[in-house]
Amino acid sequence: MSRQWKSITVLMALVLMLVAIVSACAKSNSGSGNSNSNSPANTASSESPSKEGANEPITLRMTVWGAPEEVAAYKVAIAKFEAKYSNITVKLQHIAADYDTKLTTMVAGNDVPDIAMMESGSIAFPLAEQGKFYNLQEFLQSDPEINADSLVPNISYSLEPGNVIGLAPGPESFGLFYNEDIFNDAGLTPPPSKASEAWTWDEFVEVAKKLTVDTKGRNAADADFDPKNIKQYGVNVPTWWGSYSNFIYSNGGDFVSEDGKSFALNQPAAVEALQKVADLINVHHVAPSPVQAKNIPATNVALQTKKVAMAIDGQWASTGLAQSKFHFNVGVLPTMKAPMTTVVCGMFSMFKSTQHPKEAWELMKALLDPEASIDMITAGTWMPSYKDWYTDPAMLAKWTENLDSRPSGYKDAIIDVLLNNSHQTPTGYVKNFNKIMDIVNPALDKVWLGQQTAQEAMDSIADKAQKQVQGRRDVKG
Amino acid sequence: MRKGLFYGLLFTSPAILGFIIFTLGPMIASLVLSLTDYNVFKDQTAFVGIDNYSKLFSGEDELFYQSLGITFYFVLLRVPAVIIISFVIALLLNLNVRGRAIFRTIIYLPSIVPAVASAMIWMWLLNPDLGLANSVLGWLHLPTSNWLYSEGSVIPSVVLTTLWGIGGTVIIFLAGLSGIPKQYYESIDVDGGGWYSKLRHITIPMVTPTIFFNTIMTIIGSFQVFNEAYILTQGGPNNRSLFYVFYLWRTGFRDTEMGYASALAWVLFLIIMFFTFLVFRTSKSWVHYEGGERP
Repeated sequence: MSRQWKSITVLMALVLMLVAIVSACAKSNSGSGNSNSNSPANTASSESPSKEGANEPITLRMTVWGAPEEVAAYKVAIAKFEAKYSNITVKLQHIAADYDTKLTTMVAGNDVPDIAMMESGSIAFPLAEQGKFYNLQEFLQSDPEINADSLVPNISYSLEPGNVIGLAPGPESFGLFYNEDIFNDAGLTPPPSKASEAWTWDEFVEVAKKLTVDTKGRNAADADFDPKNIKQYGVNVPTWWGSYSNFIYSNGGDFVSEDGKSFALNQPAAVEALQKVADLINVHHVAPSPVQAKNIPATNVALQTKKVAMAIDGQWASTGLAQSKFHFNVGVLPTMKAPMTTVVCGMFSMFKSTQHPKEAWELMKALLDPEASIDMITAGTWMPSYKDWYTDPAMLAKWTENLDSRPSGYKDAIIDVLLNNSHQTPTGYVKNFNKIMDIVNPALDKVWLGQQTAQEAMDSIADKAQKQVQGRRDVKG
Repeated sequence: MRKGLFYGLLFTSPAILGFIIFTLGPMIASLVLSLTDYNVFKDQTAFVGIDNYSKLFSGEDELFYQSLGITFYFVLLRVPAVIIISFVIALLLNLNVRGRAIFRTIIYLPSIVPAVASAMIWMWLLNPDLGLANSVLGWLHLPTSNWLYSEGSVIPSVVLTTLWGIGGTVIIFLAGLSGIPKQYYESIDVDGGGWYSKLRHITIPMVTPTIFFNTIMTIIGSFQVFNEAYILTQGGPNNRSLFYVFYLWRTGFRDTEMGYASALAWVLFLIIMFFTFLVFRTSKSWVHYEGGERP
């Protein structure tokens, strides 16, 4: 009996030792994370050593998502930065998939990077609300090279007025891309590129009807048109918020009221815009439904293969379009009341836990510098973040002239609209946006499928959505 | 004997340790977390007692009941389908036909295809406009379906996609079938019974332990359905495929409310426990073990 107990005790001891070893390993990891954790005292004291010892070796960690070309652009920026500051090494961590999940886990483990690319629609604001990010306003105010005015509109994100939590390496806005050959063959005038000449919604619908063709060659304006067998759609309008927000803003609507107190998608201006987009699908039959849209390839292929004649898409589609080698161009979006485009973009944020905020800020500036990401900009995916790249003709020419990715309508339809008629993405100023959209999106599914009107759908969830409304970030209090 | 115990424990220690460190530990941790308001991004975490649980059951969280209902519907549809179809396939594969090994391989093959790849294939097959499924229905002049994209058909469609991967269940059935002694069948031949008598009086009673095992595993697996919602539908349309575990994941990792998500996980754990227990209790009346012994 005693021997049996002895062996069990020995075994238990062994097990305990192993557990201890394993947990000790885990501890030492989180321990190193803790040491650069985020008490204000810690960060305050850490600024002074970096001032004094300019040459001590420093390592900055940074996480990004993105396609291989984008990562290559970051690497160019980093290489230039490291050449300028020989004592700094930048460790770039590319998280290709499930970025937010991975970053959430890093936060839980107290193992965050110094700079992270963040997405306004997901975890950036929840993190900022917990005070995890530096207020970049402080850096912008004192920096000799750049300030808030030198950036293009709507590329900075603020938790509240005066508290900038992220800066985008460039804006992205929307345009009406089209295949020129389709318009020539149909003898129609292509979409205007100047905002002042933009199509009204009705004009847009008329043209879209003429360009929607069934398998027997009849178009949607024809009485015998067969909406069940459409060969070419007049237009593809994606049904995510980024896409329809353009028209809500154009019609003077919004997601929440101006004072941020009430849900506004059930208000007349927003409802009208949503209904008009849904009517393209269910009444005029000129756009694919979300179900049919599963068969529509990416904008470049859809336009090239004439599955659609026009496509509302972000300007980032330019790269693919340029590579597809056909006659594409871009016009200004049709307007409801005023020309308007939504600016969507990611952002770079600096974690409070960084021990080298000054160096991290320099790195962030290097990432914002259009010169460093010129390959991405000329390829079409990105646009520059600095305003003078838009206003100075010589700088503008660098990324808009003699390039496949920048067709003749680009300057008017994209750049001028961005500078003069752009609106911030709702993710940037609507508090609790995700939770509100969790309620709105399922209701909109029914609108896109034509089972409910926009008014019915939005009214049916208005009370539930109202409970999630928590105000606006661009309004104090 | 005692020495045997020592070595027995020693050699099983990797499994035991693995269980303690990677399963039991996290489970206890999540049980504790489920009693807190732990949010990954917040520095302060407070004990809130059973608040998370009362919030779940109070009806305040509509998605909880909705996701639970959807998951039950899925389990109810999938478990009988998996058991019956894989049993029939196993019976066919057990026949002494030419090329049996090839057929067995073909049936098992989808099980080794990564979930994401097979989900992508199913998205194509079930595409309402271009997919093979609707094309075939069209040729046969049958009504087509919107499959994964309409509220009514999304759950049956997801069940259909998972049926493709039943190879593992089939293999277990095959093992059960091959364990049936031949002389039982011979006695039916002598007594003059046909294939139905063999199936009814020998095969089915003899494989009830296997049916029992497969039923429990399928119930557990079906309650935990996640991949399909994550890849195929993202919970849509109109939240009609918001499976429980997908909702749990969204709460924990997108909304970062880990405390609440832990409570969700424990509720699911108890539900699965309950159903497993239920199947065990009923098993006495329908599971037959060779030699008459019953658990």
